[in-house]
Amino acid sequence: MALAQAQKIPYREATPGAVYTSLLDKKIKPVRPEENTLSKGFLRRVAQSGDRVAQRKKRYGVWQEYTWNEVYDQVVDFAMGLLHLGMGAGDTLAIIGENDPEMYWAQIAAHALRCKTCCVFSDASAQDIQYVIHSTDATVVCAHDQEQVDKMLELKASLPQILKVIYWEERGMWSYDDEWLASFRAVQASGRALRQEQPRKFDQMALATDPDDTIILSMTSGTTSLPKFAEVTHHQLVYGHALNEEYVDSGAEDNWLSFSPMAWLAEQGFGYTTHLLNGVQVNFPEGPETVPTDMREIAPAGLLFPSRVWENLARVVQFRINDSSPLNRLMYRLFMPIAYRAIDLEDEHRAIPPPLRLLRWLGEYAIFEPLRDKLGLTRARNVLTAGAMLSSDIIRFFRAIGIELRQFYGSTETFGTVHLRGDVRFETVGVIVPGVEIKIAENQEILIRTRARFKGYYKRPEETGEALDVDGWYYTGDAGHMDEKTGHLIYLERVKDLIELSTGEKFSPQYIEGRSKFSPYVQDMMTIGGADMDFVSAIIVIDFQNVSRWAEKRGIAFTTYVDLSQREEVYDIIRGELRAINESLPAYSQVKRFVILHKEFDADEAELTRTRKLRRGALQDKYHELLEAIYGGRRQVHVSAEVKYRDGRTGVVETELRVADV
Amino acid sequence: MPVKLHVDNITLSFGGIKALQNVEFEINAGEIFAVIGPNGAGKTSLINSINGFYTPQQGRILFEGADISNLPPHDRAKLGISRTFQNIALYTNATVLDNLMAARHIHMKTNMLAGALFWGPAQREEIAHRRRVEEIIDFLELEPIRKSIVGTLSYGLRKRVELGRALALEPTLLLLDEPMAGMNVEEKEDMARFILDIHELQGTTIMLIEHDIGLVMDISHRIAVIDFGVKIGEGAPADISRNEAVIDAYLGEAEH
Repeated sequence: MALAQAQKIPYREATPGAVYTSLLDKKIKPVRPEENTLSKGFLRRVAQSGDRVAQRKKRYGVWQEYTWNEVYDQVVDFAMGLLHLGMGAGDTLAIIGENDPEMYWAQIAAHALRCKTCCVFSDASAQDIQYVIHSTDATVVCAHDQEQVDKMLELKASLPQILKVIYWEERGMWSYDDEWLASFRAVQASGRALRQEQPRKFDQMALATDPDDTIILSMTSGTTSLPKFAEVTHHQLVYGHALNEEYVDSGAEDNWLSFSPMAWLAEQGFGYTTHLLNGVQVNFPEGPETVPTDMREIAPAGLLFPSRVWENLARVVQFRINDSSPLNRLMYRLFMPIAYRAIDLEDEHRAIPPPLRLLRWLGEYAIFEPLRDKLGLTRARNVLTAGAMLSSDIIRFFRAIGIELRQFYGSTETFGTVHLRGDVRFETVGVIVPGVEIKIAENQEILIRTRARFKGYYKRPEETGEALDVDGWYYTGDAGHMDEKTGHLIYLERVKDLIELSTGEKFSPQYIEGRSKFSPYVQDMMTIGGADMDFVSAIIVIDFQNVSRWAEKRGIAFTTYVDLSQREEVYDIIRGELRAINESLPAYSQVKRFVILHKEFDADEAELTRTRKLRRGALQDKYHELLEAIYGGRRQVHVSAEVKYRDGRTGVVETELRVADV
Repeated sequence: MPVKLHVDNITLSFGGIKALQNVEFEINAGEIFAVIGPNGAGKTSLINSINGFYTPQQGRILFEGADISNLPPHDRAKLGISRTFQNIALYTNATVLDNLMAARHIHMKTNMLAGALFWGPAQREEIAHRRRVEEIIDFLELEPIRKSIVGTLSYGLRKRVELGRALALEPTLLLLDEPMAGMNVEEKEDMARFILDIHELQGTTIMLIEHDIGLVMDISHRIAVIDFGVKIGEGAPADISRNEAVIDAYLGEAEH
């Protein structure tokens, strides 16, 4: 069969390293053969709970319901319509648009036909779409609405392989007269005719699906190269679902609000898969702008956002509180510190005294429960964050208002680690769960082996071979280490961004600098190391506001920023902060010496990017005198730095800086 | 094509000032008809005469062949003539939804008592009207602001809400008084798209007054030009852009 045409993949050699397995004594449920593909799972859901509501879409201000039986009819009609168009096993259907029931129907239909789907972000440009279609060999495209159809028409001449462009939102389409286009309903109508001839065809096809069929081509962002497409199989999602059920704890009675892009595998895993295997009801918002109100109405049990969405949400809450009535502001100011105090005690595993417990309980009524209601988080049990690490401030903020944010570490290619409920640690990305193994290679790279893993990159055997070794380990490209006592995985940063010391050992500047964000006294920190240095040191920029307030409270007199930064007492508190950071680091990557800078890093002087990221190279050049002093063992260094003033003039600041040991 | 509206030689004066002088034109059913002219030319007076705010001293207004010159505005609205205003006239302290529902009032049949009890026919009627309003909300993409107070909305959005209210009357003749005035390019394009969709999907006859000549030329079938209350030209967009009297009066002095 054409599907089984195995490509010879040059898997890489195995790498030595320490292998870790889960410390939990749990077994995950074996995959049942009658539900070992999503298509079979769909048939079972329809058979078991045909009259229950499967999907809801808010239209005309009301949640319009579709039962499993109705979804089945929609799906079968569309599947037969695709068959009528000439689609068959191994073909690819590209889907462009915002989440809608039609998107789910199209996917269920295509997967049952043993076709692959590739979802594309709705804001993709015509060029992006062209790249996707060429790379995935798509032959039919589902394009949401007029906007997406216009992009397709722009490309029409260059896409002879596309048989049909199917749109499901008919608004504005009256003016289009092109054989190349067809409405979703028209495709379903032609399918319905075929269905009458072959009423059992769909079920037969769905039952013939194989767990190893590639069903989704998921675009993975290549930071250096063009995006590749990971081949996601039924099995990856079905097994991943088994892991989710055990550790993320999603239940059939849960609600899911589908609005994360389907191009993101998280939506496919937590939304689409859980829908088909658990029967979780999926809700589609009216539009991207109405998500906040729709979320409040649905109050979903599970949520998975990239970390920047959580950061944004925290900011929005604080902003709205400041904007709200004096009573609300008072309540917030009164009860937030109480909640923070309580979670501090919880973290220290100390008993919360009864008065504090009473106050917290009052706060729950006064502010936290109404706040969660406003945010649509009243039923949120599984609240996950993915992507970049969140700062502890954000995690603590959500915990204070009663939401336990847990990190999920994984990628399109593989399931990874997750924080279990009641075991969240700011500095880690979660624990290994049974069903997943982790190996830390000698270069500190995190390798993951699990059955919830992709098959390879579509038509890219070399890159597949680079990412997978002969033993089935996936090379994440991330550096990290295991905390062996707790079974938590600590993520440092991308392997390629590690810096090697003259001792041959590598440390992670970003991880150390990230930890400094937890200190109120440090505004910026740049760690220093390199092939000609034998230990890690740091340049610290103090948070002037917090440090000066601290100094005032202690009666420490100072005149200017420069003066304050060089006070002995300030060096002492920073030393304390660095010691705390060092505790979580292996000996070779601990910060040994540091200097507090006499000024802030400034984007105008090309020390930071506009998004406040360090320009490491520029900083090392600019402060080479400091580096020489640190590694030359000196106790003081004279700096004369050129300063650019706001009005464009330049001046020179001369001062002595202390070099201190941690 | 049957004639939808016949403005039959009307003259409107305020004291000594003649706002409109012997203006005469016909709008065919299913047409997008634009009226252009410089500031103070009498465009808004014309719309006010058609919907019944002003009564011309001479001439008649014929709607679908019947003389409506003596009908008050609310009776003309019942016949299917609705309008928007240049300076937006909405209930600013009510929600978008309430504004649109208020416009459905002329279609409501149950009396105040039944409405207050909200039982039986009154409830069913309310639901049916809400459904119509929701269709308009969907059509004009007003979902995110459905429950927002109109006074808090941006100017462009308020214009769109006003169009929604005019549509809620289910007009067969829609009068738009400068629907795109004061909008940015993107808002103007959205509005033009809505106007075309209304015309295409509901077959509504549309008369609009507009300053933006480019847009008018793009979307209308025929154009009338008035200057100092006098019609100085009428025809297809291409003819109007060649008409020298029009070029002099409105598009600027012709370069000879």
